[in-house]
Amino acid sequence: MAQLSKKIKLYAAANGVANIDFRSDVMLQDDGDGVVYIKEWNLDIAEPTVEQIASYETAGNAAEANNVIDATRRTEYLSLDKQMEMIYKDQKNGTTTFKDHCDKVRSDNPK
Amino acid sequence: MSSIVKVDTIQENTSANGITVDGLNIKDSKLVTANSVVASNITADAINATKIADSSIENEHLNVLAITGHTAETSIADGDTILIHDASASALRKMTKANFVSGIGGTNTPSFLARANTNQTINDATSTQIVFGTEYYDTANGFASNTYTIPSGQAGKYHLYFYIDAYDAGDSLVRLIGSLYKNGSTAMESTSFFSEVNNRVFSSGSIVLDLSAGDTLKIHGYLDTADGSTSAAVGDSSEAHTYFGGYKLIE
Repeated sequence: MAQLSKKIKLYAAANGVANIDFRSDVMLQDDGDGVVYIKEWNLDIAEPTVEQIASYETAGNAAEANNVIDATRRTEYLSLDKQMEMIYKDQKNGTTTFKDHCDKVRSDNPK
Repeated sequence: MSSIVKVDTIQENTSANGITVDGLNIKDSKLVTANSVVASNITADAINATKIADSSIENEHLNVLAITGHTAETSIADGDTILIHDASASALRKMTKANFVSGIGGTNTPSFLARANTNQTINDATSTQIVFGTEYYDTANGFASNTYTIPSGQAGKYHLYFYIDAYDAGDSLVRLIGSLYKNGSTAMESTSFFSEVNNRVFSSGSIVLDLSAGDTLKIHGYLDTADGSTSAAVGDSSEAHTYFGGYKLIE
C-alpha cells in the first residue's frame, strides 16, 4: 500500500502544487495504531477526499517502486571516486568500462 | 562586751519588720536581705532539676560543653534522636534520625521509564506516536497507553527525557524529529537532519517542565526518507533503544 505522503504528493502535483512541506503545509499523524491520517491541511487547494486519495494508490505504488529502484541504482553505481577512476581509465585506454557499468546497473534494475 | 544570746525564739518587735542580725533580715520565715545567699557557700550539686523552674534555662546559661562535653558518636541509627526547635509550637522537640532524613531528603518520585519492545513502522513524513510496550518502572501508575499522565496530587517540576533509535533497511533516512507532546501539543523537539542518506539515526532530548496533575505526555517521531519508504523506531525485547522516562524533582 502506497504511503499517504506519496499519494498526497501526487494529488498536489496534479493540482498544481509541486512541493509540500509535511511539517507545515500538510501534517500527517499516526497515533501509534498504524493508521495514518491528515491532521492539518494548510494548502490552498482543497483537502482530498478519501476517494481521491485512494485513486492515487496505483500511481503511488509505482512511484514508490521507482524510488526503491533509484535507491538501489544509487548504491550499485558505486562511489564517485570509483566512477571517476573508471572514466579516467576509459579516456586513457579508449575503453567503455564506465558506460558498460552504468548500462548494467540500469538493466539489472529496470523501471 | 562579748556575749552569747541563747533563746528558743526571737520574735520581731515591730510588726512587719522581722528581725535583723548583722544586717541579715529574717522575716516571715525567709531571708529577705538582697544577695544574702553567697553562691560559693552552696554545697556542690546541691541544686537539682526539681529546684529549677520549668522552661527557664536559656541559651546564655549554656556553654559549648552542653554539646562537646558528651561522648562522641560516629554513626547514627534510624531510631536515634536529635533536638530541634519546632517553630510552629515554639517548643523544643525530639526527632528520630529516620524522620529527620526523610524530611530533608525527599525522593524523586513519581518516576517512570518505558521502552519500545519491538520495531514500530514509521510512515514517511508522518508524526507518529511512539509505542512503548515495556515498563521498567512506574512508581505512581501514571503510564498507560503509551502516555504518561501526571498523577493526582503530584504537580511540580519534572525532568523528562527520551531517545528514538531509527532504522531504515533502504538506507534512505535523511531527517528524524523527536517530539515531546504535552496535552496534545509539541512541548519540545529534537531534530537530526542529514545531508546524506543513512541507515541508522537517532534523536534524543530532555527538558524540565512545570506540570499539573492530569497533564499528558507522549513522544512522537517524524521520519523523512529520501525514497519515501517506511522506516522504523527500533524496539528490543531486552535492551533500551527507544525509550521515554521522567521523574519529579525535589523542590
